[in-house]
Amino acid sequence: MSEAESKSGADESAETVGSVDLRLLEREGDIAADYLEGLLDIADLDGDIDMDVENDRAMVSVVGDGLDSLVGTDGKVLDALQDLTRLAVWRETGERTRLMLDIGGYRSRRKGELVELAKRAVETVRASGESESLGAMTPFERKIVHDAVAEAGLRSESEGVEPRRYVVVMPA
Amino acid sequence: MLAQALEHLVAGIVEHPDDVTVRTRQQRRGQLLQVHVHPDDLGKVIGRGGRTATAFRTVVSALADDNVRIDFVDVDER
Repeated sequence: MSEAESKSGADESAETVGSVDLRLLEREGDIAADYLEGLLDIADLDGDIDMDVENDRAMVSVVGDGLDSLVGTDGKVLDALQDLTRLAVWRETGERTRLMLDIGGYRSRRKGELVELAKRAVETVRASGESESLGAMTPFERKIVHDAVAEAGLRSESEGVEPRRYVVVMPA
Repeated sequence: MLAQALEHLVAGIVEHPDDVTVRTRQQRRGQLLQVHVHPDDLGKVIGRGGRTATAFRTVVSALADDNVRIDFVDVDER
């Protein structure tokens, strides 16, 4: 057995990220990749699938051009496909998964935009001393904004009711 | 292609994937895709508040050029 093989073999079963079993996350990624590859084949779409583990979650990205139809307006199709992919993983593992799906780099671009938006809101709030409400966002998007606001040293809260829930950035 | 894509998506989440069939019917206002699943899986493909059924409709509509309707039925109702 080569060194590489022994590393990815029995030794790894004990490896965990925090309390999360890395092997479970990798398995989640594999199941998701099979489900998505099947769809790409049938729909005759070109896309490569990358798998990663980020913040204790499996992250699966479909990379390629011409995938806009699978993202949809405001990522609606992407979110639907993520829901279905999570159900496919759940069927195989029997465990709920927080797996994140990205297609055509949509989420990573959106994350960059949200961090910029949060930074601008922080500047505005610092200058005015008054709270500022942002537009409605999904839970994942709000989390990105909360983290960016906290990083900049201010507080934020979510208000309103889904799907119109939004972040309020508050003065220190 | 749409029926095949939908069959793949549904079969991937149910407990009885071999019981999944999708039939296509041409209607005046577009295609109707009729998804047949095992009776035990009907709740799962519809989901809480219809969330999963909506997800299937969203993905299939994204792949379709025209209007598509999707109905979910259990295999006993033919």
